[in-house]
Amino acid sequence: MWPVEAHELVLAPQSQTKAPQFGRLCCFFGGIFREQRMTKLVGGDGRTHIESRLMRESLQNRKVLSQTESERDLQIFPDVSLVSIGGQSIFDRGKDAILPLVAEIAEVKKRHKIVIGVGGGTRVRHTVSIAMDLGLPTGGIAQLVGAMEELNAILLNALLAPHGSMPMQRDHFWDLPLYFDAGITPIAISVPPFHFWEPPPLEGAVPMHGSDFGLFQLAEVLGMKQVIYVKDEDGLYDKDPKRHRDAKRYTKVRLEELVANPPAENILDEEMYRTWLEAKNLQRVVIVNGLKRGELTRALDGEDVGTVITKGAAR
Amino acid sequence: MSERRTIDSPLAGSTLTGPSSLDYNPVAVMPDVRIVKIGGQSIMDRGRRALFPILDEIIEARRRGIQVVLLAGGGTRARHIYAIASELEMPTGIVATLGKYIPMQNARMLQMLLAKHGGLYILPDDFEKLPLYLQLGCVPVMSGMPPFGYWEKHEEGSRIPPHRTDAGVFLSCEFLGVRRAIFIKDEDGLYSDDPKKNPSATHIPRITARELVERNLDDLIIERVVVDYLPRARWCKELQIVNGLKPGQVLAALEGQDVGTIISA
Repeated sequence: MWPVEAHELVLAPQSQTKAPQFGRLCCFFGGIFREQRMTKLVGGDGRTHIESRLMRESLQNRKVLSQTESERDLQIFPDVSLVSIGGQSIFDRGKDAILPLVAEIAEVKKRHKIVIGVGGGTRVRHTVSIAMDLGLPTGGIAQLVGAMEELNAILLNALLAPHGSMPMQRDHFWDLPLYFDAGITPIAISVPPFHFWEPPPLEGAVPMHGSDFGLFQLAEVLGMKQVIYVKDEDGLYDKDPKRHRDAKRYTKVRLEELVANPPAENILDEEMYRTWLEAKNLQRVVIVNGLKRGELTRALDGEDVGTVITKGAAR
Repeated sequence: MSERRTIDSPLAGSTLTGPSSLDYNPVAVMPDVRIVKIGGQSIMDRGRRALFPILDEIIEARRRGIQVVLLAGGGTRARHIYAIASELEMPTGIVATLGKYIPMQNARMLQMLLAKHGGLYILPDDFEKLPLYLQLGCVPVMSGMPPFGYWEKHEEGSRIPPHRTDAGVFLSCEFLGVRRAIFIKDEDGLYSDDPKKNPSATHIPRITARELVERNLDDLIIERVVVDYLPRARWCKELQIVNGLKPGQVLAALEGQDVGTIISA
């Protein structure tokens, strides 16, 4: 039905097992680049393919997909820690909570490579409340919320800039070596760019991918050392310590245990845990109290403070 | 120590995960728009013989007052970069970022071809300008790849991003409040197996997402995440797969006829 292949295409048989036959033109180039692996264009079924392992294959086929997988992922920045500062827990408390933490970061950034992200806090919740009442679609809500955490990022950068900090553009990760060489701490955008394309949530209409997830994924894809969530509690508890005096803190807990027996109320987004279960790089997440001077520094120094969540050795 | 200063709202103090007790009556943003995917491997890689007749039908639909937004797929160049990136053990988020570029090329090709009929290349954030573009009679064209990029999650058993251009089409419909997503491919729709490889594969004219999941097929014509999302979608309840190589199918689909295969929630 679809005749005539361009003559420079190699006409390959449908079967993948047979090596493609070389056309006249390729033989000519083959003579020139005898030593090199030639990129071949393959026709024969009306479509023009570039020869590759996934050529002609359905990318929905589980067998094909599994060929692309291995146990490890490339780790790009294994000596960098990601520090996530809570919106409700720190920024919404104002000056008393923010300034001591900024002073601590100004010191510790001299010794450690860190990327900082911030949450949006109560303004995000207000945005979502209004947007839900208006009936805006989930993707529309997701598009709106990022603006609220960005306000906190601007505040933080204004305070930290004299000590060397800069807002990092969305995915300008490849500037990171330059930032660190120059002693600049980048402040990342924490809400992931799902925007209008936020997938339908498992339950309800509130977007599932917030700043906890966004910063986790940023650290995961770049193969960072750890993520430290700075909150206003000493770590993760089995129930909300603000309401229950007998709440018990986890000091060191494995991700698998935590997911099997989740606490009554979680200080971090559930999507972060779900993503971590499927992830290959990150093995350590720490939750520390940003209201206590020195906790963040100790976590960056590698001490087990607050709650340390680890993931069973994936490699 | 200062207290948290919270704005009073129904979600104040909530962790923002899971269901909320708020009443929610969603509003459809632009329900009358047709969101149409032009397949990468299935259409674009076939060149003008496959593509030009499809574009003629889209132009005709536009002439009849049907509002069309085109989203481009990737195809063989995407597969090529995915294969090499996988060899290098690149994380899924990097593979997804690489995967953005080819649908973008294809969208630009479509724009050049449709320019004299109002073809307009738009970026993901340009949804907010769609009302103007469509009222002017334009045919907006964009990449089908969702903008997740580095934030694309790894999925067990694969390094390939689970959200690709089919997901982009579905999620665009879901945001815009469009009931049916249209996918132009080179098959009559859904088969029990890949018909290009298995000649005894049988055609499925209509099926629910649940039935499809229960069949637990090793292969699918549409990205798996889309089939997973369909049952919990608020707006996009149907996926229509039509054969762009058969004259008249695209126009029929754009006019709302049940051609090809329809996967429903």
